[in-house]
Amino acid sequence: MALLTPQLLRAMRKDRPARRRRRPGLLLGSLALLIASGFLPLRAEVGALKEYQVKALFLFNFAQFVEWPAAAFAGDRAPLKIGVLGADPFGPVLDAVVAGETIRERPIAIERSSQLLDLSDCHIIFVAESERLRIPAIVAATADWPVLTVGDSPDFARRGGTVAFVFEGQKIRFEINRAAAQRQGLKLSSQLLALARIVGPPVEEEGRR
Amino acid sequence: MLQFNFSCPLPALGAHGWLRWCWSAPLWLGGLLLVTTVPGLCQLAGSGSPAISSYKKLSLAQLMDIEVTSVSRRPEPLSDAASAVQVLTADEIHRSGATGIPSALRLFPNLHVARIDARQWAVAARGFNNTTTNKLLVQLDGRTLYTPLFAGVFWDVQDTLMEDVERIEVISGPGATQWGSNAVNGVINITTKPARDTQGGLLQGGMGSELQLAGAARYGGTVAPGLYYRVYGKHTQWDGSVTPRGAAGGDDWDLSQGGFRVDWERTTNDEFTFQGDIYRGVFGQPSNGDIRVKGSNLLGRWTRRFAADATTSLQFYHDYTHRMIPGVITERLAIDDVDFQHQLPSGERHQFMWGASYRQMEDRLENAEALAFLPARATRRWVSGFVQNEWRTADGEWRYTAGVKAERNPYTGTEFQPTFRVARRWTERQMAWGAISRALRTPSRIDREFFVPAEPPYLVAGGPDFVSEKLIAYELGYRAEPRSGLALSLAAFFHDYDDLRSLEPADDPAEPAQIANGLVGSSHGAELNVTYRPNESWRIRFGYTEQRVKSEVKPGSRDQISVRSQSLDPDRYLQLGISHDFSTNLSFDVTTRHVSRIANHEVPAYVELDFRLSWRPRADLELALRGRNLLDRSHPEFGATASRREVQRNVHGSFTWRF
Repeated sequence: MALLTPQLLRAMRKDRPARRRRRPGLLLGSLALLIASGFLPLRAEVGALKEYQVKALFLFNFAQFVEWPAAAFAGDRAPLKIGVLGADPFGPVLDAVVAGETIRERPIAIERSSQLLDLSDCHIIFVAESERLRIPAIVAATADWPVLTVGDSPDFARRGGTVAFVFEGQKIRFEINRAAAQRQGLKLSSQLLALARIVGPPVEEEGRR
Repeated sequence: MLQFNFSCPLPALGAHGWLRWCWSAPLWLGGLLLVTTVPGLCQLAGSGSPAISSYKKLSLAQLMDIEVTSVSRRPEPLSDAASAVQVLTADEIHRSGATGIPSALRLFPNLHVARIDARQWAVAARGFNNTTTNKLLVQLDGRTLYTPLFAGVFWDVQDTLMEDVERIEVISGPGATQWGSNAVNGVINITTKPARDTQGGLLQGGMGSELQLAGAARYGGTVAPGLYYRVYGKHTQWDGSVTPRGAAGGDDWDLSQGGFRVDWERTTNDEFTFQGDIYRGVFGQPSNGDIRVKGSNLLGRWTRRFAADATTSLQFYHDYTHRMIPGVITERLAIDDVDFQHQLPSGERHQFMWGASYRQMEDRLENAEALAFLPARATRRWVSGFVQNEWRTADGEWRYTAGVKAERNPYTGTEFQPTFRVARRWTERQMAWGAISRALRTPSRIDREFFVPAEPPYLVAGGPDFVSEKLIAYELGYRAEPRSGLALSLAAFFHDYDDLRSLEPADDPAEPAQIANGLVGSSHGAELNVTYRPNESWRIRFGYTEQRVKSEVKPGSRDQISVRSQSLDPDRYLQLGISHDFSTNLSFDVTTRHVSRIANHEVPAYVELDFRLSWRPRADLELALRGRNLLDRSHPEFGATASRREVQRNVHGSFTWRF
């Protein structure tokens, strides 16, 4: 079972861009100083992103770290399809993120539906929060499809979905159910697994990762 | 649909209410306009979100480092609970500017929350509100907050750092099967964030006209991967209330509190939580000298996950409280509680759950002359267990829940509290439910061991024959999400009470009266809640409760007084709240509420208005201006005319700095 080992975590930290470290003592002086310096926002650019903008970027990233069985595609250049199931929280953001992008020379297509069967040829299915009550049915139906199901409900992966978005404070994290991915015939890169929280039943290691 | 809901309750306000409503509407609309048109403020908001395409190159690790600006503003999922549950998230609590738990509870449309004076509150669901409301179960992180002295809550010492509260859940109606024997009319369940989610520092300070001084600090860190902690401290200082004639109420008070929480995720399936608080407070009184309180608690919990939804949890806590009320009573109370719950792996269609708990209290009282709890020292034990099964039809449309709680209490022995619930779901956007439950308010010390005065001859000599107050509750509910962002829930109830508390005069006038079960009662009503979030920057919520609560004397009872003090409830209360983000760093919240007259104490109906304006000049700093009860200099919310206190207007400014 893949766990976040201390070594792995340390390695991850090193990879991250160094954030400006602000010492408490520096600013504790006075409130006035804080307000005055407030006109120079520190993290404004990244801080202005909204939840579903970030989640759309996550989805785009996931597509790059997952290997689907060849049979999942109609041909070598067939598009990689991302489906949004249920009430779409992204608006135009998801389309903007994937516009003009290719993954392993495949263009990316977005499909939307409230019916799971309409999305049966998708490679990633984003399960919106509106579908929360149908999770057991969705998990059961997609159990042997070659599809990465990504749920917006925090318990999605724990209930058998492949990936779930969860929050840690105001930051977005994701949980991966490796057993589900294995059943679906997906290969997840070790990079992806290292950043995820692994949930669900343990799986047998397939050789060295 | 929304229009209907807005217009419907207005006639109920009466002529006076209409006026107030109309007057208040332009006020806040004007406020909104004013703020929107100040271009300078909007300038500060920055230029909105940059084009998304410029972020495509961010790595997963970088994405994980971004703090998103609207965490909980997405519409809450339609709850599939077969009970009248309302939930407030951390973001909503933060935006309300609530400075304590009772003031956060004001946001729940299914609760009647009345401020008695500067520090005391009367909180009830579905009626029978009182200064010592005893039909509500309140828990904070699994720790029961009501006192076995009178089965009510000393709200003045229930506090935590509001920034650390993750969610508050209020169930109106019985929750006795799973929750325990005080969950007759409702359950309030407060959960704080795991230490993992409160990393880094937080410094908060504020000053105002009523909440004169408020300061808080918190720091959270990581000891090792998976092992997180936080420590906090806070201090609040409140100005006293006023009497109806405008004289000082003499109830200024302050409270200091500190605490910690450690969470250890040993493996993905094993989690340990260890937390504790300590507090000390001084509460002013118009006479007799200050009330002094202190207390501490320590809680440990081990949660183990076996499969996707199979868990066990073992919890222990120790809770110590000390309250010295000069000339009345001094109490030292220690409670130890162990609780175990096991949720079995859900089968195809069944989900089974059981639990057991043991609770012991050791109460040491020093009685003064006026009244006494006898024996002054008492150790009491409760043992309880529950089983519950939930099963659904093959198509998942129907869901049935049946459960029963058995509890052995030191006064009436073993008693049973069963419930049966049915839920029917049509689509993912629509469900209805119904429930029949039996719930009990088992005896507390005040029902059995209360004497006036402390020495014979007594006027009141306990209640040796007092048995549990009983409720059979019939509920129907409907929840829907007609379109994305619009959610409504409606619950209707009929509660049938038996054996409510009375005070029975003896046959011989020279003999003392005794506490007995001489009353019956009933209540019926409906609770409506609508939230509408047309987009990420607007949020509108509307809540409306209409209820009728009555109690009457049983044949054979001679209590002519208790009937009038049993239910101190308004017939209706409603609220309208609007939240708006002008930009990612400027937001505005306004709430107006109406509470109708409380007939039994002749508390007049009122309309009040609260607002909060928040500006984040930087990502790590928030400045907030808050106004409470703005429509009047002071107004009464609860209490008999003679001893009544009034709640004053309160304006408060604060900063929150995260580092």
